[in-house]
Amino acid sequence: MSKLILKFENSVLNEVPVGSKEVSIGRSPDNGLVIDNPAVSHYHARVFNEEGRLMLEDFGSMNGTFVNGQRVKMVSLKAGDSVVIGKHSILISDSREVTNPFPTNGGAKPAPKINETVMLDTKERREFLQKVAAVGESAQVAPSRVKVATLVVRKGKTDQREYTLSNKLTVIGKSALATVKLKAWFAPKAAAQITRRDDNSYSIGAADKVPTVNGQPVIHPTKLSAGDVIAVAGIELEFIYRE
Amino acid sequence: MNCQTAIEMEFGARSDTGLVRENNEDSFRLAPELNLFVLSDGMGGQASGEVASRLAAETIVAHCREAKANPRLHLIGERIEGVSDAANRLASAVRLANRVVHQAAQRNTAQTGMGATAVAVWFADERMTIAHVGDSRAYRLRRGELEQLTQDHSFIAEQVRQGMMTAEEASQSKMQNVLLRALGIDPDVLVEVSEELLMEGDALLLCSDGLTHELSDAQIAAVLCDTDEAQEAAGRLVDLANRAGGADNITVIVLRHAAKLAGAVAKIGRWFKGS
Repeated sequence: MSKLILKFENSVLNEVPVGSKEVSIGRSPDNGLVIDNPAVSHYHARVFNEEGRLMLEDFGSMNGTFVNGQRVKMVSLKAGDSVVIGKHSILISDSREVTNPFPTNGGAKPAPKINETVMLDTKERREFLQKVAAVGESAQVAPSRVKVATLVVRKGKTDQREYTLSNKLTVIGKSALATVKLKAWFAPKAAAQITRRDDNSYSIGAADKVPTVNGQPVIHPTKLSAGDVIAVAGIELEFIYRE
Repeated sequence: MNCQTAIEMEFGARSDTGLVRENNEDSFRLAPELNLFVLSDGMGGQASGEVASRLAAETIVAHCREAKANPRLHLIGERIEGVSDAANRLASAVRLANRVVHQAAQRNTAQTGMGATAVAVWFADERMTIAHVGDSRAYRLRRGELEQLTQDHSFIAEQVRQGMMTAEEASQSKMQNVLLRALGIDPDVLVEVSEELLMEGDALLLCSDGLTHELSDAQIAAVLCDTDEAQEAAGRLVDLANRAGGADNITVIVLRHAAKLAGAVAKIGRWFKGS
């Protein structure tokens, strides 16, 4: 990306990047680069990108625009060029990185720009995902038995004594959506929610109420571990895994 | 999908090329009559990213619209257990988008290798479904707290989740923008879906990584908390990201579950600033 660096004598006054939009230069405050000096026309010149080249165009200004000492009408610029308008100078700076982690191949596709989103190469992706899957398998204690996440009611009025968490979203409350249905007449529609993530872990989050897990209030959604005791809206639940 | 009550969602959106890129390869589609909002960030050389993200966003909306008219519309891919019909329909829509982008990439040499991320949120009564592929994100602001609802399908994020890398090493990595999953790359894609409760006062944000590479969660939360209207918030987020550098395309969709109270009372319950 190129930058225009505005200088007056030896002081840097301003820096403006030149991207997809052009940068207009002049005394008028609605320019992209404002030079507040009587020798500068209201709309003096502009700098823009054209087919990968940086171009400068003078708008027929009174006192002209000079590039490397020459008065110009329309010219291409490169890093290091000096542009003079009145008593101000504009340095052209190119802030592209020198090292390119995506070297250009001789093929038809141009190399992706720095920091552009790309896919991980197919072979590496497959190998990595296999490695992740293998780690997941070895982490299971007894692969022949399936662990089922369950909430066991320890205290309070609910419609069941135990709840199997088979859904991705489990709501604790009075609403029709709720799995754990609260019976108390003052119970909120949705006191709290438990979410199952894609890695099969469960997290509890606040809804109308802020639940506690082992006595600690749940400010941010909190991952649940076997044996955790959840308290909310007058009930107490123990999170366990049944086999 | 059964929509008994009309959910009042206030929405605003903005997409900007940013200060560095030549063109904008992000797309978004708003379908408020369906309560469906979609965002996609395209990738691929020579503006094919623009094609990919547009195809992705349009396909997702079209499929959900068709399903509303025809609830027995065939589901693409395997049914996911433990989630609602709406979640399955949204996953089906994203899988279809993958096929559409993939086919276009195969047919057109100029579009070979093009791909896109997608993040979509679909509201129905007190529940919302989020489906995503890639590193565009969904956030929720509740009681002044900003929470990221989607996990990035990026190489770095997966390594951190697996314990192969610390979060700090991840922030230093030069491979920040390398994805493990995207639409259009393979004939099939694994779509991640989740369901969340929708509570009054909740605000939702869908965004491309151009926003989150420039702004911290705290900055994002501050804008959402301090701005009254969704459209204004969307504009402010983009402006702030540009001021911070604007190194990539920036797209945001801001959604707010409006309080249904009429008159003066409605003006009071704005954003929760966190007690």
